[in-house]
Amino acid sequence: MLPKHAVQVIRHIWNEQGKSISMSEDARNMATVGQIIDIQWKLGMAVSSDSCRSLKYPYVTMTLKVAEPSGQIKNKSFEMTIPQFQDFFRHFKEMAAVLETV
Amino acid sequence: DRVKMAAVTEEQFAALQILLKASSKDVVRQLCQECFSSSRGSSKLIDSTCSNLSVTSEEAAQLVSSLHNLTRHIVYRGLSSAEEILSLFPENFHQSLKNLLTKIILENVSVWRSEAQSSQISLPQLVDMDWRVDIKTSSDSIGRMAVPTCLLQLKIQEDAALCGDNPVISAVTVELNKETLDTMLDGLGRIRDQLSAVANK
Repeated sequence: MLPKHAVQVIRHIWNEQGKSISMSEDARNMATVGQIIDIQWKLGMAVSSDSCRSLKYPYVTMTLKVAEPSGQIKNKSFEMTIPQFQDFFRHFKEMAAVLETV
Repeated sequence: DRVKMAAVTEEQFAALQILLKASSKDVVRQLCQECFSSSRGSSKLIDSTCSNLSVTSEEAAQLVSSLHNLTRHIVYRGLSSAEEILSLFPENFHQSLKNLLTKIILENVSVWRSEAQSSQISLPQLVDMDWRVDIKTSSDSIGRMAVPTCLLQLKIQEDAALCGDNPVISAVTVELNKETLDTMLDGLGRIRDQLSAVANK
């Protein structure tokens, strides 16, 4: 059990600030946010499929290694079409630009 | 799915002539598009074809299946000229219908090819992303600090082929520090360089 004055401080702060945390979606997300610890990528070219005998279809495969708050390491793999990749790249350049100014 | 690759049979060409009952060229055009995009044996499409063309549901099923096979076969082989498509039809096939179908197919073949490519099997696909830059002012281990950090949310869609009409989209939220961001940018730059190299070959 916490000492009484500590509980009073906590209660006071919670009354003032608590709403903004508990109501924001971010609070829920924060608890489940992992850290990216590694990135692997591959540029592939599909040459044939069951629906198109002859293809020249590039795509990007990426695997993010994420350290969960629990300590578990999870891999998240996904694919991007080339337009999606270009969008992805653009977002990261914007992020980097913002980080520079902060 | 070997049926997609198989040539269109005599029986299927015969079934295509049910299209002669269509009230307009637009009805034929619409049906070609719906039959290409539909999954095999779509009962909804068979029912609507039944009423649109005033045919039995058995005839409608044969027509939908034949049109699906014809359009898919043409996309599979990458046929793109009128000559190539016309030569698929048997000699005794109704001339005007053959010309109309060839015309409609030529109009749609590029779009259909793109559709086939975007729905082919793949790993889960990135469909959207959102991000935010925050300043971490404190944590359980450090009382005061000012560390800029990125919060990134990726929306990933599971394999469309497995989910049918109700794709499952999961959101992954991760944090990146500047170092990880720089590594990512470096990697993305290399992908871009490789893409240019491949495009120029």
